[in-house]
Amino acid sequence: MEKILTRNVGVKGSHTLDVYRAGGGYRALKKALEMEPDAVTDAVKASGLRGRGGAGFPTGVKWSFMPKQPDPARESYLVCNADESEPGTFKDRLIMEVEPHALIEGCLIAAYAIRASTVFIYIRGEYVRPSRILEGAVREAYQAGLIGKNVLGTSFSCEMIVHRGAGAYICGEESALMDSLEGGRGNPRNKPPFPAQYGVFGHPTTVNNVETIAYVPWIIDRGPEWFASIGTNERNTGPKLYCMSGHIRNPGVYEAPTGVELWDLIDNYAGGMARPGRKLKACIPGGSSVPVLTAAQCEGLVMDFDSVAAAGSMIGSSGVMIMDESTDMVLVAERTAHFYAHESCGQCTPCREGTGWLEKIIRRIRMGQGRMEDLELLESVAGNMMGTSICALSDAAAMPVLGFIEKFRNEFVHYIEHRRSIVASG
Amino acid sequence: MVTFTIDGRELTVPAGTTILQAAHAHDIRIPHYCYHPGLSIAGNCRICLVDVEKFPKPAIACNTFVSEGMVVHTQEESEKARDWQRAMMEFLLINHPLDCPICDQAGECKLQDYSYKLGAPTTRFVEEKEHGPKRRELGPHVVFDWERCIKCTRCIRFCDEVSGTSELDMFLRGVHEEIGVFPGRPLDNPYSGNVVDICPVGALTLRESRFAPRVYFLSDVPSTCGACARGCSVNLGTYRNEIVRINPRENQAVNRWWMCDEGRLQAARLARTGARRLSGPRGGREGAADPWRAATAAAADALAGAARAGRVRVLASSRASVEECYLLAKLAAGPLRGAPLHLPAHERGEDDALLIRKDRTPNRVGAEAVFDALNVPARPAEELERTLVSGNLSALLAIGPGMLGPIDDEPPVVSPDSLASLETLVVLDAFPSVLSEAAHVLLPTTTFAESAGTWVNFAGRVQATARALTPNEECRPAVMLLSDLLERLTGEPAPGREAIQERLSEEVPAFAGIAWAELPASSGQQLAGSDEQAAACAPTGAALKMLDAGWEKVPDSPRGKPPWVW
Repeated sequence: MEKILTRNVGVKGSHTLDVYRAGGGYRALKKALEMEPDAVTDAVKASGLRGRGGAGFPTGVKWSFMPKQPDPARESYLVCNADESEPGTFKDRLIMEVEPHALIEGCLIAAYAIRASTVFIYIRGEYVRPSRILEGAVREAYQAGLIGKNVLGTSFSCEMIVHRGAGAYICGEESALMDSLEGGRGNPRNKPPFPAQYGVFGHPTTVNNVETIAYVPWIIDRGPEWFASIGTNERNTGPKLYCMSGHIRNPGVYEAPTGVELWDLIDNYAGGMARPGRKLKACIPGGSSVPVLTAAQCEGLVMDFDSVAAAGSMIGSSGVMIMDESTDMVLVAERTAHFYAHESCGQCTPCREGTGWLEKIIRRIRMGQGRMEDLELLESVAGNMMGTSICALSDAAAMPVLGFIEKFRNEFVHYIEHRRSIVASG
Repeated sequence: MVTFTIDGRELTVPAGTTILQAAHAHDIRIPHYCYHPGLSIAGNCRICLVDVEKFPKPAIACNTFVSEGMVVHTQEESEKARDWQRAMMEFLLINHPLDCPICDQAGECKLQDYSYKLGAPTTRFVEEKEHGPKRRELGPHVVFDWERCIKCTRCIRFCDEVSGTSELDMFLRGVHEEIGVFPGRPLDNPYSGNVVDICPVGALTLRESRFAPRVYFLSDVPSTCGACARGCSVNLGTYRNEIVRINPRENQAVNRWWMCDEGRLQAARLARTGARRLSGPRGGREGAADPWRAATAAAADALAGAARAGRVRVLASSRASVEECYLLAKLAAGPLRGAPLHLPAHERGEDDALLIRKDRTPNRVGAEAVFDALNVPARPAEELERTLVSGNLSALLAIGPGMLGPIDDEPPVVSPDSLASLETLVVLDAFPSVLSEAAHVLLPTTTFAESAGTWVNFAGRVQATARALTPNEECRPAVMLLSDLLERLTGEPAPGREAIQERLSEEVPAFAGIAWAELPASSGQQLAGSDEQAAACAPTGAALKMLDAGWEKVPDSPRGKPPWVW
């Protein structure tokens, strides 16, 4: 498949306006500005582009929730969610480092489509290098008249602000992100109201992931049919970035058609398993908050939104973590639980108390103090955390724990019975 | 209007009502911690989860607006809702210290209340609980216990939205989250005590009433605060004839759910200064069998003599009840032969946006209404001072100004030197002042907590105080003392409290139609013709205005988090 967002990886100066323009950059913006905003939205709808941040919501549909005639006192805003913090996910970093102008162009097109006056790019605080490159690119685009008053001489005006977060996983949740952007503590908000009604600073807001937005220029430039022609079916379209990590030879970001097979990704993109001879034990297909899949489930697994969901997990932010047979799954569960206990904002009860409880139980099992009833307790506590909290972090913490217990119950039982790991310590 | 079904009952409520509000208005109880009718909706405690048909997930009753045809099942009839709420109770209790035996909140703690309904008899939590500071002083009056806190953020929202001072905020994250203040900015605002009231658990306690008798031993006597002209509705929490604490009582027309710290801390002031109360009558014939009778007789004789010479005046107080004012007016107009009556002002500071009034007396409007209607219009106290200095006065009948509590921090009503020219000074009061020190006849009175009475606040709200404590024999209600004086001077039987109230309704037009018997424990009643005044004087404050206006009219809240109105 032709490389789109990764075509300039390794190219010197790929982050500059000149290199981007030489490759046809900002052609799509010009084309979009000649279209009606709703026609842009319709094109994105027709392309079948789905949110690449985790939930997979159709992007064009999300845009169509925005007011068609914004109230001048409550202008619409576009927020680009660049707070990429999901363990195992690092695709947005690549885009911002290598193709920042694709993101900027996508933001401008999206802002035009939803009639937004300002774009906020909320970038993860730890992303110092990407944020410097992105800020440089925004500055360049301002100087070239691509952002600001009367973009490319048209009546469309748009400001763009790069905002660095302060380092909290929860600020990747869109409503917590908005609170943080407003200068407050990053706590998720109760929904309703949804961002399109009452978003950042109280204005109608659309929040989109970096990868989602970065593909928009290509959809406009080459047409939605081109984008829709790639992928498994009309619900799973386009090229997609996969973040490969774990026990593979060449970890990294790989661009492949949506619906590439998992083993294709491992063998042909990531250079195969890290240690030949060791078998695959498990795979987390979409970042740490989705349920784990066993090796058997990974056979013939097609990596698109619907197929992974049918297999009992989620494509999420496509952070694919490969674990071979030397992996202690209880330790993985403990590390995952620790992450969510550490990152829970603490605002609402089930998540604040539940994440810590899960971690304590799993740690106790791993330390050799487990009881058989702890497995039911874990399932019960995780079950009580699902769907009862303000945002999805509680579910994100509970789902993997349930997955680990369901798929690798024998390892937990081994720890409880023998007070040590089922995996020979090497 | 929207019609929906809850627990099989069909209710019709205004659009924009939440499930919780609708349920509470119709006596269907849904547990809640973070929801408070006077604050914005946080939706963080999750105990109010209910089962709404066709909803994919549990819904919080506090932030789900009812819609046409919605079908809601609460914990009363839905096993699912009960399980969700039980799960939330379990989560809240796993790291809670369960130190109820030493907790001040025990007895009025929502964790305890809901535990009886939803809690498990044992715990599934076998790990070490999280530990944290048990006694952190947030400000001069409020002490914080981290371990008991359930992070409902009511206190933070109070400081953001009602007092408007924003001292409190949430610090740290996850299970380590804690309520705190910023360096150098303690929780020191005039309303800080309210955070203790609205704390649903024992995390915030008032330093002045911590480790006092258990709340279930207290008697809450509904009364009215006399610290300023607002007259907040309060409950006097008494134990063994002492006021342990004063809490606000909800009264939407006067103070909503709040009161100021000064009013609240009267309890401590009264308790600490009890020994300095004026005690026992003075000035009667030496060795009399009944010193009260002797003192009253001496006062009556001296006042009658001075009245005949036209050299007597009356110094009233707007801290006295309307019943006392009625008797004073009758005395001045009758046996004292139209003696001029003076009403001193006790002002301090300025009116604030929420409750506090600069007029530090609870009954100025009531007193003036009575004096005007009975043709003894009140004159300012400065005029009395001039008359005293000129030496044209031989007797003065004074009531107050220390009837509600110690007044050490107030400037004297008249200068002590000017009182030297008086031949007879008759004083009715509870706490020492320049007047009581110079008195020839002293008749100690009860305080507002020891006798029933009626005050009218600055906006014309007629409210009752109640007898919460039994007074000792060294003081008497001022109504009783003034009646005795009136009887002795006129030779006719003087009316009792109920009779005075009847006469007030007849003789004072503003009091026409007051249902006196219904005043105690109620939210009060407006003076006739004062409704407009009342509306203009409802408690405000920036955020309260915002709540009244409806959130949809406020484009940006400072924190960007208004509850949505569909």
